[in-house]
Amino acid sequence: MISRGVFLLRKEMQRTKHHVACASIVALIYGAFSSANAWAQDSSAAAQKIGTERLTGMPAAKRTVIDESGRKVEVPARVRRIVTLAPNLAEIVYALGAQDRLVGVSNFTDYPAEAKSKPSIGMPVNPSLEAIVGARPDLVLATAVNTWETVNSLARLGIAVYTTDPHTVAGMLRSITDIGDVIGASEQAQALVQKLQARLDSLKAKLANASPVPALFVVWDHPLQSVGENTFIADALRWAGARSVIRTKQNWPLVSMEEIVKLNPEYIIYAENHMGADSGSDSAKLANVPAAIARHLNQLRADETWRQLPAVRAGHIAVVSDEIDVPAPGLVDVIEQLAQELHPEIFQKQNQSSFDNFLQHRRNAPGFPNARQSFSPEAASCAR
Amino acid sequence: MTTMNSSAGTLAGWMEHPVRLVVEQAQYAYSAAAPTAPKFTLGPVSFTARQREIVGILGPNASGKSTLLQMVAGEFNALSGRVELDGKSPGALSLRERAQRIAIVHQESNLLFPLSVWEYVLQGRYPYGRRLRFENEADHLMAQNALEQTGAEALAERRMDQLSGGERQRVVLARALAQEPQLLLLDEPTRHLDIGGKVELMRRLRRLTEQNRYTAVVVTHELNLAAQFFDFVVLLHGGKCVAAGKPEEVYRAELLEQVFGTPLEVEKSANGRPRVILQGAAADGDLSEAEGE
Amino acid sequence: MRSLTPRRIFWICAGLAGILFVIVVFSLKVGAYPMAVGDVVMTLARGAIGHWNAIPSSDRLVVFGLRLPRIALGILVGAALSVSGASFQALLRNPLADPYVLGVSSGAALGAIFSLAWFPREPWTMQALAFVGALVTIAAVYFLGRRGGQLDSTTLLLAGIVAASFLSAIIMFLMTTLSGRDLRGMAFWLMGDLATAPAVRLGFLFLVLLLTIGAIYTTASDLNLILTGEQEAHHLGVNVPRVKLVVYVGASLLTGLAVSVSGAIGYVGLLIPHVIRMIFGSDYRLLIPASAIGGAIAVTLADTLARTIVAPTELPVGAMTAAIGAPVFIYLLKRRLA
Repeated sequence: MISRGVFLLRKEMQRTKHHVACASIVALIYGAFSSANAWAQDSSAAAQKIGTERLTGMPAAKRTVIDESGRKVEVPARVRRIVTLAPNLAEIVYALGAQDRLVGVSNFTDYPAEAKSKPSIGMPVNPSLEAIVGARPDLVLATAVNTWETVNSLARLGIAVYTTDPHTVAGMLRSITDIGDVIGASEQAQALVQKLQARLDSLKAKLANASPVPALFVVWDHPLQSVGENTFIADALRWAGARSVIRTKQNWPLVSMEEIVKLNPEYIIYAENHMGADSGSDSAKLANVPAAIARHLNQLRADETWRQLPAVRAGHIAVVSDEIDVPAPGLVDVIEQLAQELHPEIFQKQNQSSFDNFLQHRRNAPGFPNARQSFSPEAASCAR
Repeated sequence: MTTMNSSAGTLAGWMEHPVRLVVEQAQYAYSAAAPTAPKFTLGPVSFTARQREIVGILGPNASGKSTLLQMVAGEFNALSGRVELDGKSPGALSLRERAQRIAIVHQESNLLFPLSVWEYVLQGRYPYGRRLRFENEADHLMAQNALEQTGAEALAERRMDQLSGGERQRVVLARALAQEPQLLLLDEPTRHLDIGGKVELMRRLRRLTEQNRYTAVVVTHELNLAAQFFDFVVLLHGGKCVAAGKPEEVYRAELLEQVFGTPLEVEKSANGRPRVILQGAAADGDLSEAEGE
Repeated sequence: MRSLTPRRIFWICAGLAGILFVIVVFSLKVGAYPMAVGDVVMTLARGAIGHWNAIPSSDRLVVFGLRLPRIALGILVGAALSVSGASFQALLRNPLADPYVLGVSSGAALGAIFSLAWFPREPWTMQALAFVGALVTIAAVYFLGRRGGQLDSTTLLLAGIVAASFLSAIIMFLMTTLSGRDLRGMAFWLMGDLATAPAVRLGFLFLVLLLTIGAIYTTASDLNLILTGEQEAHHLGVNVPRVKLVVYVGASLLTGLAVSVSGAIGYVGLLIPHVIRMIFGSDYRLLIPASAIGGAIAVTLADTLARTIVAPTELPVGAMTAAIGAPVFIYLLKRRLA
């Protein structure tokens, strides 16, 4: 009787032991991961305080600014270390002469050529947070190609992120000004913007009497994709004296051939994806462009429907650098070149001299590579 | 020879086996899938079975054999009349209690993942443990016993999908035995077996029923095997019970011809049990092969 | 003859946990931000005793702010996906079932797209809407997957596939018509991404994980029986409809949880249960905890590789699991046929 009682009691105790063991394992796991979370939050708060102190040796002076997306950002008064999350931002930093303070760039930052030697922090869409932290930046510059997740994650880690969001060429100029203000290069920014604005204004004046050339900008050919009204490219086209025949609010609309036939563009413009092109010397790049035009033209003429288009029959193909979608100073060059090509009659008189001027300007600009050009098919006739 | 059953308090002299299963005027009806199809009615059926008895349910296809078996299994309650196992209606029991009393031997379905015979048979102990259970010594003993009783103990470490048809049949039976049931239900257990396998199964069933004091109810097409091995047969036709009794009473040529719709002869075999012969067949009357599938 | 005992389960899980521990240590050490093992150990030690100020700020940030939470998230997601996959394989009686076969991830993806399109800036809306999308899909597929009042494996599978296709169509439509810029983050979400911290405290998520796995675990014996046949299990006393409901809700919840915080990481839920089965057998009382730890190992390892192989470029973890998982899958297929 007693032994049975003892037996039952032992079974009960065993069962209780099991329950206690399970409960303690659960508690342990929960505790471990709760702490991990708490540590994470703690460390970001501390980092905010400690990080800049260690760098400057004195309590960081901060000022609050509002970035282009409307976020409030606390920026150090003196920005010594900058990380850019997109290639155009690095280009702007170089243009402002602040490249010595640039400690991290995103992948594929190739303009200017020296930027390739800067340490990389990963792709724009999913950069390595560790690498960014490792670069110990005072300020991270972000723009539309970056995700809000990245921006929020960096903010949560206590790193100041300033976002720009230009939708138009004018917006790009404002971005240059804003970035200049935030990194403490306001004077250089002002000077640069003035120069760029002057060029744009002169271009506008020249094109005042010309009607905009209806053009189709081809983002991708299979499936056929163009740009919408609100895109950066559409605005650049407008500045270059063209207008996109595709009128839609969608940013990257797919268009059908029927639509193209109906809309009958005068020019067909392609962007040369410079990742595919040689990133070698500039002369090699120059040689590519006429070849590219010839290539596109041959492709189009081989197609039943395309070759019927008046634009194709006339050989009105233009190839621009893909810098046309990059909100950076180099964009103005591309706009000017495109304008020259689309309105040869306006620029012909000043053809040679303005061309030289242009080349001169390019060679003198700090750190910029030489000509990224578009060539008219007439000039490339030997390549055809 | 271990008996695995402790019957619920019914005493009997060793000569007389107590009545265990009572089916009295049991009736059931259900509609087939289409709402316009006529209702299928089963019954009224009446029979009793004692310990150590095997009852066969015979009849042509769609005569309600499986429905009757399901009713005995407690899947649903009879609409009128009663079904009682040791005084309790199986339909009124909880799933667990049912599983402790009634074991159904299935046609084994496709196993998805590798499973050893031992694990499979151990699953028969499920009705006796808590929800998340680990098998204890008693379970192991029972499972081992079940394997020995079906002659499958050598198969214990093999994988289920590597067994032959006959071996698998034994293992499935072993799992049923591991449930320590009072009632064994089998639905066409000899379907995929050759003649040797069929006879072996029947012999084994007979032996186990005797040994362990089961009551067995078997749905089958095998008229001759039923006649040889079963104590009692119930003949169904279109849902009605047309005859119930000992094989020699039920197997009458005119009745069988009427029910199965084919000319048949019935003769007496050496041991007094009836034998059904295909009339006009050239070969010697192995009816089971013709009836088989 | 051996049968499964709690002891055996414990030792196997302890062994797997040991492997996980080693991988965690390895993962803490490597990364785009170089740290020596010694530094990692010092950082952890100082953090453990509370000497925060002694740790260099960027070390501290990287270890406690970036790597440790990311590893913890990987463990959470890996465990959730593996248990979910194993459960669906039993529920649907299909060895090819994975956590996403019933459309939960498509529903979550739709929720994520909505949040990207209309609430892009709030840090938590993507996960919240993804979870809501998952819940709605779970409910819808449940009602579609019933037959005769209870869940039926085939009907459920069909309902799930239909739901997944339908939702994918909507997603594709939205991705084409909405402006491309907004949805750049979507590609990474669709391939799995552990870089974003969860909106809810990790500890809470782990509690939910443990409770849900626990609930499924209570049906482990039942699942073993159901795998030999639903009728058979029913006749052995298993309450089959109840078990199916518990497993369906539990596994779908695990999938929804995992997918909301990390996107759809593939191959883990499908393959880990099979690998565990190959080594340790199909008993779900062992399969469930072992798969959980196995999944944690797989995802943590994959994520570590994804963020270090071409550092500083971070590959999506789903690409890594696919790159490793596809050959493993082929190998498993050949083994079965051999």
